[in-house]
Amino acid sequence: MPEEKKTDLIHLTIDGASVEVPTGTLVWAAAKQAGIEVPIYCYHPKMPPLGACRMCFVEIEKLPKPPQTACTTPVSEGMVVHTKTEKVLKARRGTLEFLLINHPLDCPVCDKGGECDLQDFTLRHGPGGTRFDQHKRHYSKAVPVSDNVFLDRERCILCQRCTRFSSEISMDNGLVMISRGYKMEVGTAPDHAFDSVFSGNTVEICPVGALTAASYRFKSRPWELKRTASVCNNCSVGCNARVDVRVDKVMRLMSRANDEIDDGWLCDRGRWGFEFVNSPQRLRTPMIRRSGTLVPTTWDEALFYTAKRFKDIIAKHGAQSIGGIGSTRTTNEEAYLFQKFLRTVLGTPNVDHHHGSFPAPRDPLTNKPWAMTNSIAEIELASHIVLIASDPYKRQPVLNLRIKKAMKAGAKIFVLNSDVTELDRLAARKITIPQYGAGAAAKLLLSNIVQGETLRTSNEAISARVLSENAITQEHAAAFGLAATAQLVELAHEIAEAKGAVILYDEMATLDPDCQNLAADLQALAVLTDNIGRPGAGVGPLFEDANSLGARDMGVLPDVLPGYQPASEVGKTYNEMLSSPEIKALFVMGANPARHLPKPELPASLEFIVVQDILLTETAQQADVVFPAVTFAEKDGSMTNLDHHVQAIRRSLRALPGAKADWEILVELAQHLGKTWDYETPADILHEIAENNPFYTGLEWEDLGKQGVRITQEQEVARA
Amino acid sequence: MPELIVTKNLAIPGLDTLATYREHGGYEALAHALTAYQPDELVALIKDSGLRGRGGAGFPTGMKWGFLAKNNMPRYLCCNADESEPGTFKDRMLMEKNPHQLVEGVIITSFACRVTTAFIYVRGELAKAGRQVTRAVEEAYAAGLIGKNILGSDYSLDIIVHRGAGAYICGEESALMESLEGRRGYPRLKPPFPAVVGLYGGPTVINNCETLSTIPAIIKGGAQWYASFGTEKSKGTRVFCLSGHVKKPGNYELPLGTPISTLIYDEQYGGGMLDDKKLKAIIPGGSSTFILGADKVNTPLDFESIAAVGSMLGSGGVIAINEDTCMVGAILRMTEFYRDESCGKCTPCREGTYWMTEILERLEHGHGKESDIKLLVDICDNISGKSFCPLGDASTSSITSGIKLFLEEFQYHVTHGHCMVGAGRTRPEIGAVEGASLFAGAV
Amino acid sequence: MISEQTKQRMCDLASRYPVARSAVMPALHLVQQEEGYITSEGLQAVADAVGMTVDAVESVATFYTMYQQHPQGKHVVHVCTSISCYLRNCDALVEHLEKRLGIKRGETTPDGNVTLLTAECLASCGTAPVLQVNGEFVENVTLEKADALIRDWNETARA
Repeated sequence: MPEEKKTDLIHLTIDGASVEVPTGTLVWAAAKQAGIEVPIYCYHPKMPPLGACRMCFVEIEKLPKPPQTACTTPVSEGMVVHTKTEKVLKARRGTLEFLLINHPLDCPVCDKGGECDLQDFTLRHGPGGTRFDQHKRHYSKAVPVSDNVFLDRERCILCQRCTRFSSEISMDNGLVMISRGYKMEVGTAPDHAFDSVFSGNTVEICPVGALTAASYRFKSRPWELKRTASVCNNCSVGCNARVDVRVDKVMRLMSRANDEIDDGWLCDRGRWGFEFVNSPQRLRTPMIRRSGTLVPTTWDEALFYTAKRFKDIIAKHGAQSIGGIGSTRTTNEEAYLFQKFLRTVLGTPNVDHHHGSFPAPRDPLTNKPWAMTNSIAEIELASHIVLIASDPYKRQPVLNLRIKKAMKAGAKIFVLNSDVTELDRLAARKITIPQYGAGAAAKLLLSNIVQGETLRTSNEAISARVLSENAITQEHAAAFGLAATAQLVELAHEIAEAKGAVILYDEMATLDPDCQNLAADLQALAVLTDNIGRPGAGVGPLFEDANSLGARDMGVLPDVLPGYQPASEVGKTYNEMLSSPEIKALFVMGANPARHLPKPELPASLEFIVVQDILLTETAQQADVVFPAVTFAEKDGSMTNLDHHVQAIRRSLRALPGAKADWEILVELAQHLGKTWDYETPADILHEIAENNPFYTGLEWEDLGKQGVRITQEQEVARA
Repeated sequence: MPELIVTKNLAIPGLDTLATYREHGGYEALAHALTAYQPDELVALIKDSGLRGRGGAGFPTGMKWGFLAKNNMPRYLCCNADESEPGTFKDRMLMEKNPHQLVEGVIITSFACRVTTAFIYVRGELAKAGRQVTRAVEEAYAAGLIGKNILGSDYSLDIIVHRGAGAYICGEESALMESLEGRRGYPRLKPPFPAVVGLYGGPTVINNCETLSTIPAIIKGGAQWYASFGTEKSKGTRVFCLSGHVKKPGNYELPLGTPISTLIYDEQYGGGMLDDKKLKAIIPGGSSTFILGADKVNTPLDFESIAAVGSMLGSGGVIAINEDTCMVGAILRMTEFYRDESCGKCTPCREGTYWMTEILERLEHGHGKESDIKLLVDICDNISGKSFCPLGDASTSSITSGIKLFLEEFQYHVTHGHCMVGAGRTRPEIGAVEGASLFAGAV
Repeated sequence: MISEQTKQRMCDLASRYPVARSAVMPALHLVQQEEGYITSEGLQAVADAVGMTVDAVESVATFYTMYQQHPQGKHVVHVCTSISCYLRNCDALVEHLEKRLGIKRGETTPDGNVTLLTAECLASCGTAPVLQVNGEFVENVTLEKADALIRDWNETARA
């Protein structure tokens, strides 16, 4: 095998240095690999070559008409490339001079100054001065193209990166080129906003200060920023982000390109939704309810009081009367400690968090935990992508870009939804189902597979169940109508014949009426059509929050311990804890259960409520003790995204004075309850997780590095 | 007068109707092609005829057809009738006067190239030409010459007439395809070449309107007959568009290799310089070609001879310029064209044409500096060979050749602040001569 | 107003081509025919018919110079000013028209009767100077011929 691979490598010489790169590599990328800078503006590695800016000139021996552009020329065997000949240098100077004739010299007030490719390349490759002594083109200065993005057309060098992102990557064509020639500009239709949840990427890839983010304009200079490699905390995708901080305030999030996860992109919600970190509403001191009102107090008093009340409740009602609701946004270490605190410190089995409806902690058919069986990157290999009651554009945005990338590579998209979704217009088929119809749609698909298709894998139990449910299924078919039913028959056939189908549903759709079997039925569908464990095939839930899967992995569930190991005693579920009069005390970490209740009021039967959070949420307002926690930006820890990548979030700024990380609060509470918990860092906790959780076996903090580790199977890891 | 091929019969009234066109032998070539030839034999025949593209580059037509990739993608033919090169007006005439000849050429070429959908991209500004071609296509559909089973054969073809909307760049073949696909007319990266990945990703052949209009005659007369006209390497005839300061401007079909002087001075053609002024400069193939001095007037009009004296035969637009013309002004006017028609995709062409126009403007109006002339030449060097497509190169032709030939005029503008040919003598009185009719050469 | 009939024609065009998007240019021509220029409503109608965003349609509409972005006069006059017409003194023709119409190139007479524009080479170099009125050629234009044209335009305005 290794020898075979060698024949795929192309050998070339760049500035005298030998370089070996795979077939199809562009000269620009080969030079980059050799550590040689070839300046670019229009080219972006995630988009096809354009050849427009004419900056990346090199001279290639034996090719006609030198100089050539490095970003459009693929390497060939024996190629000899020169990047610094007089011809090349003159051509680059020429292009820079052209770009500068109409570029304003407002670097001192430009947000991009200090990290501007035009500034940098002019210094390194440009002419010392200009010969242009006439009037520059003028436009009105920065104009908003949306609420979030401003456009300064004078600074624009018309490289088309932003408009091509719009057409090639986000495929919403929101930002376009207007007019032509020297009058050309970036823009939109008249009075039309640049309406895209991915608009921030255009700001990030703009090589100059033409596109700027409303939230960052005039806030900071690049050299003042402290940059920390972290992970976006907004949804379950886990895009890699760099958190840029200036004097204890988060200024912006930038992509940190992880091809396995985000492919180099962030969504606007993730990029700009960090205001809660800087919010003046943040809790800065513990609070205790006195005479019906929450009043500030000291950490000592709050911890002492909480420990005492827990002891009293255990003495009065027994430990079983305490319930704990954990978070989908705190780190694995905190989720782990939370369930450990409840189970071993307080001694209650009642642990859960808000999540979808799954029939058991593991899928009974495959014995795998509920999670997408394929990786995010594998979606690109799919021939069919089926989205059932899920809308990644709104809920897991960057996954929407991966689906579009797969579509460009030939995948057919099927959308089953009662609502309009962004992908409808690109879908091979949009099947409009009734509201809450996802469960029925899954049953119809499954029934069509069992009764109408040649099965790749037979399973007596599933077939028997499907046949036994036939009468209900027929009722569903009648409710769907002929057209939708026919479309489902066609889709079932497509899935049965697919080279690789990826079937995805939203975790929360399983909570809809008549959808409690959605997860199980779709898993069965994937099993019967052999769409698990093959390249480009898979099935699974799209989780809601940054650490939804981590909370499950860590055993913040009533029936399993970390690693889905059965609990000796099954505790109360989330809903039971919020309705059962037996529960007298509630411990809530980073969750807001009050918001999910029909009326935002916790049961009156609760005698004691403790909440750890960053803001005074609806739940915190009803608490007896509130501990101020810190955000993802102020602590270290690991999180597990929807395709089971364990990634490190890193402290980017000083913790808000008065607030502590959730894990620190748990450790102090345990100590106040007489335990000798001696974790000093989240790394210590991760080490313990690795000893207890077969999926995390052997994982250490240092292993997570900058791009995380994808954990796939407990067996594999256990053996390692 | 030599034998006319592509402009033959143009004087016949009603030639633009199907009936009249057929009366004069129209569509006989098509019937012959469909019955007597296999597609590949037609490709060989056109190769043998020596026909070279009449759009500007002069690429051998049969060879172009032979390059089409053999794959499962649908193939397309695009007729490039986006005639916009300053100084060129032959395709408009062919479409207005003899649209069926073009349609017949399109059908035969489609058959030869195994194309089932062909497009005729007519320049948007040429409303009448567009109407004429559309009507001819409709007539041909009605007569079973286009559509299913043409003339009872098993060959079927669809032709769509597509109107442009004002963009010179769409005459560039890859920009034309982008435009046809409903996008901005930006030229595409090559390779892949259209013959491999073209319109809608299929192998595509793109031929100029005059080229395709010549096909029926070659089928009828044979490759050897056609090759008997012209020179060794530039075979056949060509419609030369004569404009500028001549007595009888117009389209004249002549064998390749005819000297420029014959076109300008022969009584049958240009009839000499307007007001018998002296010839000062010649633009031999549209405004994108290098200007030639009057001393080159005896150069034969064929690809090789024109290249040998430092220019290009281009689109066949021969522009004669007299002694009273300010070259700075004329070159400014040509440069403005490229500034306005640059698609804006690449930096050197977009910014360079703008900058050069600014400099030429200030030279023309007497505010120029001595260094401007050198600067212009250097900007040309930074555009030429550096731009994405040939439009950038084309924008520099008149400037570099103009400065080389008429440097003293540029210098005079700098030192005297006005033109050396004298104010008021720059251009002839408007309407001094009633121009010749559009198809003078064919009458 | 884009009529239902025109919208139908746009949809027919979209199905005539191998890919619907190819109909964007002919559909924009229909908008211009009906509205006189490319209106917002027209952009939307085209976008709906050919399956593009309005922004993408605007991008195409502003690339091609024949699509007018503003209302035009009843008679839209394009005078060719490229090299061959320049050599035949088209500039004098433009100046003459400007003087007689009382407007500069690029403008419309206050009564909305005539819009005077210049154009790049109109492929009529053999009959220079030339102009087009609403897309139809007038060749070998003399100053007298230009005056006659203005008289015609004024008469149709009054009629």
